[in-house]
Amino acid sequence: MNHRIGAILLVVAATLVACSGETQPPLVADDVRISGPMPRMKAGYMTLTNNTDEAIRITRVSSPQFGRAEIHETFLEDDVARMRPVGVLTIPAGDAARLEPGGKHLMLMQPVDSPQTVTLNLYSDEMLLLSVLADIE
Amino acid sequence: MRPANLILALLLAVALAAGIWLALSVQESSEEVPAEAVTSTATVLPSAMQLPQVSLVDQTGAAVDQSFFEGQWDVVFFGFATCPDVCPITLGVLTEAQRRLEQSGAGVLPRIVLVSVDPERDTPEVLTEYMQSFGENSVAVTGEIDQLRTLTSELGIFFEKRFIDEEFYTMDHSSVVLVIDPNGQVSALFSGPHRAENFVNDLKVLTRS
Repeated sequence: MNHRIGAILLVVAATLVACSGETQPPLVADDVRISGPMPRMKAGYMTLTNNTDEAIRITRVSSPQFGRAEIHETFLEDDVARMRPVGVLTIPAGDAARLEPGGKHLMLMQPVDSPQTVTLNLYSDEMLLLSVLADIE
Repeated sequence: MRPANLILALLLAVALAAGIWLALSVQESSEEVPAEAVTSTATVLPSAMQLPQVSLVDQTGAAVDQSFFEGQWDVVFFGFATCPDVCPITLGVLTEAQRRLEQSGAGVLPRIVLVSVDPERDTPEVLTEYMQSFGENSVAVTGEIDQLRTLTSELGIFFEKRFIDEEFYTMDHSSVVLVIDPNGQVSALFSGPHRAENFVNDLKVLTRS
């Protein structure tokens, strides 16, 4: 399985483009993976790189293949595994944020039919920043 | 060949043979558990802990009790099937450890057991589907909440339902993996985060004693 599934930049906020001042995309997703043993619940992982000189805030995620898509975080506290929603995922300027197993990740719930390929839309408030396509492992 | 060269050739041959013997010895001994081996990450209980009497149901829907855990070595994790992250990660680590143990010729391959603490969603059908990802030597059980409380409170295992919103809940749960011996007694535990190599090393030691 190629984990460097191409992330397709569909829409980029004009402000981000202006901030970046460079030709490279302001926000890039690498190492995108969708996994999970059950069809009705999947986890999404990726590395999001912010190529601009301002922090990027991801406030919402959606997917046409799932009724609910959210950013959650798993953490261990006193040997107890807990998972909570993450309101805002902040990617610092010129830095990267990792959505990874056992940490922050996407929760994909309530699938529509049985999707093999998933589109993930990442928003800052109501502005679509990035649309990523990935196969389910 | 001059005598000096002959001696040199003989010395080289002896050194080569010794090197091969040494390499083979090291390779052979790496598959064995040294007599003085101790666990590196597992916590061995001073005295094995008996399971309480409980009524559970396995993934086929059959009623089982605490004797379900007797007759083989088990590694037991408490989680739930709707969990897409830490539960499959942990069960995946256990599956990988099981595979490595088999590859190394280990005499004992512990069974992987998921105790679902989410009986509301984890029906036998759901658990059957879920456990297919973790190999043939893996099973799941669950039960009524009061029975799960009886089991977990005795073992110091925590679980709690947490609503994310009105329609979705998650389960907070202990991340430890228990080791249950063929007598159905808890003999050791592993704390998270879990790594396959820790299980491979320590399960060889634990199942030998």
